[in-house]
Amino acid sequence: MHGTQDDGLDPREAAQLLAETTRQARRQFSFSPPWISAFMGAVILAGYAALWLSTRAQHPYKGPSVGAIGLVYTAVAVTIAVSVTVYRRAAAGVSGPSVRQRQIEGIAILVSYLGSPLIQGALKHDHAGNALVYGVIPAAAPLIIVGTTVLGIAASKADWSQFSAALVVVIGGFVAVFVGPSGSWLAAGIGLFFGVAVHAAAPRVRLGRS
Amino acid sequence: MSTDALDPVIHAPARLRIVAMLAALPRGDSLSFTRLQDMLNLTPGNLITHLRKLEDAGYLVSETTGNGRASHTAIALTAEGRAALDIYTDALRDLLGGL
Repeated sequence: MHGTQDDGLDPREAAQLLAETTRQARRQFSFSPPWISAFMGAVILAGYAALWLSTRAQHPYKGPSVGAIGLVYTAVAVTIAVSVTVYRRAAAGVSGPSVRQRQIEGIAILVSYLGSPLIQGALKHDHAGNALVYGVIPAAAPLIIVGTTVLGIAASKADWSQFSAALVVVIGGFVAVFVGPSGSWLAAGIGLFFGVAVHAAAPRVRLGRS
Repeated sequence: MSTDALDPVIHAPARLRIVAMLAALPRGDSLSFTRLQDMLNLTPGNLITHLRKLEDAGYLVSETTGNGRASHTAIALTAEGRAALDIYTDALRDLLGGL
């Protein structure tokens, strides 16, 4: 077992031990391990594909079916539960400024999530059509609003992995605005999926270069 | 290969792992004694001995709050500790250069 003795180390062994320990520490402190990114990517694709499939044959557009919405809510609930478990495990025993900063960021993201339903409600109140109220806005607005919030947070921390992922999500939202109510679900799903993929891939690219 | 250029405080398996673990945290963050012990798989006595050596060198700080069973010790790498690990890593690279 490593570390039970205090004797010297060969430089090669020391380099290996340092690299191994750093890898182990990063893995254990990580809030988004690769498996959770893969899981989230699969959930996003399944959820948004269900929304798109349930609306693509609608003329005129009415909105996603109750079954598709139920599937998405279930997927979101499972994803939140898994993410909270991973977060608790990674953050156990850690204290300090980064923990407080993450809590503030969490509040900012949570508040920005309210933007889309608010716009949706206002449009419904003003008798806007189903294509906007149950299509383009709920598909595109969360990506643009929440994505922009995360973009700002990432820029302030110079976290370019998170910045690139958020940028991809925001671009997905921009595209979703212009591809019609049904197509907006597909565009949003693809944007979110690639956002997750970029976030998962960026640290590996960085580690590969170092 | 001579190890004279390597900081003797860090150049021991347990202390190297302690410093590397703490360096993976964002600057200014602390780790609880129990989590560190769990991650390193060391006995409490062994960990305390190594932490004391690192603390004496000014590489880390520990803060204990509460008493008895409710006490909680948080350990953080100092700026000197982070700099020492950087210097140690550079020295290792120099020693292993070309390999």
